[in-house]
Formats: sequence, structure tokens, C-alpha cells
Amino acid sequence: MLEITKLSKHFGGLMAVRDLDISVNRGDITGLIGPNGAGKTTVFNLITGFIKPSKGNIVFEKSTITGLSPHIVSKSGIVRTFQDESFLSDLTVMQNIIVAQYLHPKTGFLEALFNSTGYRRKETYALRRALEILEFLGLEYFKNELAQNLPHGYQRLLGIAIALSANPKLLLLDEPLAGMNASEVKQALELIRKIRASGTTILIIEHNMTAVMQLCEHIVVLNFGQKIAEGSPEEVSKNSEVIEAYLGVKKNVAQIK
Amino acid sequence: MNNNTKLIKTAAYIVFIIFLFLIPIFTAQGYFMHVLIIIGINIILASSLRLITCTGQFSLAHVGIMAIGGYLSALLATKLNLPFWITFPIAGIAAALLGLIIGYPFVRVKKVYFAMLTLFTSEVIRNVIIEFKDLTGGATGLMHIPPPNPIVFLGLINIDFTSKVSYYYLVLITLLITLIFLYRIEVTRTGAMFRAIQQGDSIPESIGINTTNYKVLALVIGFFFAGIAGSLSAHYYTVLSPSSFTILQSVYILVYVIVGGRKSFSGAILGAFILTVIPEIFRTFKEYQPIIFVAILFLIIFFQPQGLYGLCAKAGSYISRIWKRRVAHA
Repeated sequence: MLEITKLSKHFGGLMAVRDLDISVNRGDITGLIGPNGAGKTTVFNLITGFIKPSKGNIVFEKSTITGLSPHIVSKSGIVRTFQDESFLSDLTVMQNIIVAQYLHPKTGFLEALFNSTGYRRKETYALRRALEILEFLGLEYFKNELAQNLPHGYQRLLGIAIALSANPKLLLLDEPLAGMNASEVKQALELIRKIRASGTTILIIEHNMTAVMQLCEHIVVLNFGQKIAEGSPEEVSKNSEVIEAYLGVKKNVAQIK
Repeated sequence: MNNNTKLIKTAAYIVFIIFLFLIPIFTAQGYFMHVLIIIGINIILASSLRLITCTGQFSLAHVGIMAIGGYLSALLATKLNLPFWITFPIAGIAAALLGLIIGYPFVRVKKVYFAMLTLFTSEVIRNVIIEFKDLTGGATGLMHIPPPNPIVFLGLINIDFTSKVSYYYLVLITLLITLIFLYRIEVTRTGAMFRAIQQGDSIPESIGINTTNYKVLALVIGFFFAGIAGSLSAHYYTVLSPSSFTILQSVYILVYVIVGGRKSFSGAILGAFILTVIPEIFRTFKEYQPIIFVAILFLIIFFQPQGLYGLCAKAGSYISRIWKRRVAHA
């Protein structure tokens, strides 16, 4: 579904991402892991067009999306969430979702201005769909609350809800579990599975290893902007390079002595 | 309950609008009408500027755009003898077109940089007007701008706009149309889009919103009404001079918006109203007007960041609380 080939990005002399190949299969949950600063979020930024790649190619559903503007990339069906502030804090939860449905259904400025019957029909549709999404994520209780007043766990959910309302084919989740407690993590994992079951492919960055191992069919490990391993959770967790990257190199005890 | 309050609100608005139309019957005193006309024009300016600030951009070009509308309308009327009813919309459309042209390069920069760009644009427009002496009359300005042409309908109705009362009606109707238009934008999805963009580009972009287009749209609509206001004021005063389009005037309009309360639709209306009335009351201290404005601005920023509208809302909720307590006791 998504094919990334030879993707590179350098900021001045710093190679943030180097010759990266990733492919995401339709219907999978693919994990993107690696130590801090490995370039995971940069990869997300490159895919969604927030940063233009220095080299390489990104193909989504047979069309090249390399270097397109973010709003065009999201129209093609790739929608991401953000690590921090992934929602519009001054709007209510409901307004957040309604704004996020901007493209589905598309409403014109003029028909909104003159309150045409078409516009009103689309508005009722948008309202109904917003409620559906909120129910799906268990947020309907907070629908009239300002987004900034939500508890942290629900704010993260709202970020996902906004992304979902844009009808993604491929959803990129950037550390969706950060800062959640054990029970919230459990709920969130269930939810991510539910999203996949509804037909959305998922690419996820996450530091919570137990969660990643449970969730993903396929895992890509990055370190210093390069792919060091790839495969099923079992394969990756046994890979010596991955263990090295996460835990450091084993020193020969005899040598130190 | 909810339906009832909505009905009462609508009724109150209609009664108030009828009252506005009836004012000249009670008093048609020239000075009073003059103040009302100025208030109307200032409300158009403040409300349209507020729309631009809704997308997080602080434009200081409003008075420059107003000058373009005013001068264009006046020149078309004096040099080409076009009737006001044609030059009036042209002023707005030309200003909107300018917004479209400068919008795309301008919205690439943000916050302070955007404010600086628009500030200099305004000054450039003023200087161009001063330099093109042959056309614009230079620093002395344009004179003998005709008032709007009389409306003659089948020889039965004959409205001419030389009197202040008829001009008051012209401004009032323009103002109502402007406010209805801007209010529709505010409550529909476009308004929500503007508020979303105000909080940063990345989330709207990530869900498919072309933030650049929306920012330019806000600019185009705002400029349109600034041009309209320029034309209205040019044909009202019948003279135009570059000295009335200085940076200070642009800042004043922004002060109307901030003092009134930037976050609410009524805020800009309230701010423009009060800050037009206060200088008229203290007319004898005209040279101290900037000081009075700064004092009000400081008080508002420090003690009531939500603006006068926030103050009114607070007072309103306080009164309704007391009222409910009374009712409960009785």
C-alpha cells in the first residue's frame, strides 16, 4: 500500500534519515521503533509532506506523493496524529471532529454562506458522523467540553478521533500511548485494533515495547536514521543489532579486568 | 426552553433594528446623525478586521485598503462621472482583488512579520497617493466628491443623499448586510476553519485543509469590506486627504477590536461603538485622543483580556444569578 524507497533527509550535515526502505501492507499494523532521536518522527514528517525529502521516493496506492504539500497528501488518504498538542484546544470536542470532517463531505464557502439545503443536509450528515466517531472512541460523554479541559488520556484519543474523521486509508500514529497509565494503554490498544478491523491500515511509532510486540504484525527498527532490522515481533526481538541499539554493546568483562 | 430563548433573542434583535431605522424620526439633528454615520463606518472596519484576526493574522493595512477603496470610488465618480452605485461595489471588489494578489505572498509569514508587512503596505499606499499628484491631488487631497446619486423610482420615490438622514440609512443598510454576511461566516464551518487555523497550521493541514487558501480568503473578505467602508466615507465627507489614512488610524481599528473583545463577534461592534463615542464626548480634548486610547487599552489588557464583551458577559451572568435567587426566594 505504501512503498518508501531510498528515502533520505539531511539537515545540513546531519543525516536524519538515510536510504530508508519501508513497505506497509494493506490491513497490517506496522510498527516503527527505535531509540530516541532515531528519526522516526522525521519519517512521518517526510511521508505526510511536512518536510520535503532530500532524496528517495514515496509511493502510496500506485501514485507518487513525494514532496507534496501536507493537505494534498492527506487528501490522498494518509492522515497522521501528532506527538504533542494533537487537537484544537480552543474548540469543543464536537467542533474538533466537525472541523476535521472538512473533506467528507466537502462543503463550499458560498453554500455555507447562503445556508442552502445542500449545505444543511451535509451539516446534519457531518453531525451524525461526528457522533458516530465519538461513540466509536468512547468520547461522546465529553462532546461539549473544551478540548483543553479533557484528561490527558482522552486528549490523546481526541487526536486519533480527529485523524479518523478525515477518513484515512492509512493512519500514522505518533506515540499514541505516551503518558498513559496501564489501564488506559489497555483501552487504547483495543481501540487501535478496532480501527484496523474497520479497514484502516496503521503505521505506529511507539516506545512501549510490550504494546508494540502485542499489536504489530510487522516491525521496522530504526537507529541513527537507518533501518537496522525488520520482521515479525519475534524476529526483531531476537535480533542482536536491535538489542545492541536498545541496551548498548555487551562489554567483555574479562577485558575490562 | 432553548427554542424560547432563541425566539426572544431574535425578536429583540428585530426590535433593535427597527429602532435603529426609527432614530431619525425622534431626532434628525445633524451632529447626532453624523456621529451615528461614523460609528457605522467604524463598525464595518472593525468587524472586517476582526475576521482577518480570526485566522491569527494581525493586519495593520486596513486603513490603507480603506484609502484605496475611497480614492478609487472618488476618482471614478469625479473623473469618469460614474454613478456612486457602480463605484461603490467597484471599490470593494478592487480592494478584495488586492487582497487576493498580496495575500498569497503575505500569508507565508506569520505574526509580527505579517503585521510589519501589512503596516508597510499601508504606508506605501499612502505615499503612492501623495506622489501621484496629478491624479490624486497629492497631499492636499481630492475635493468635490459627489454624494451618491439620487434614487428615482417611477417619479414616485425620490431619495437624494445630500441630507445626513438619508446617508444614515445608506450606512445602516450597508452595515446590516455586512454584519449578516460576517455573522454567517462566523457560525458556519468556514468560521470554525478560521479558528482551527488560528491555533497552528499543522493539524488543519494534516486533515486536508489548505490553510493558505483559507488565510487568503479571510484577507480577501476583510479587504472587501474595508474598501466598501472607504467608499462610504469618501462620498460622505466629499473630500479625501492622505492625512486621514495614517498608521495611527490602522492601529485605532485594531484597538477597537481588542478593546471590544477579539474572540466574540459582538466584541468588535462594541469596541468600535464605544471608542467612537468616547472621543466625541470629550471633543474638547481632541489632541489627547491617543493618550485616552492607550489608557483604555492598558486597562482592558491588564484587567479584562476578554475585552468589553467579556465584561458585559460577566455582568450579564451576575445579574441573571441574582435574578434567579430573587425568584427562588419569592
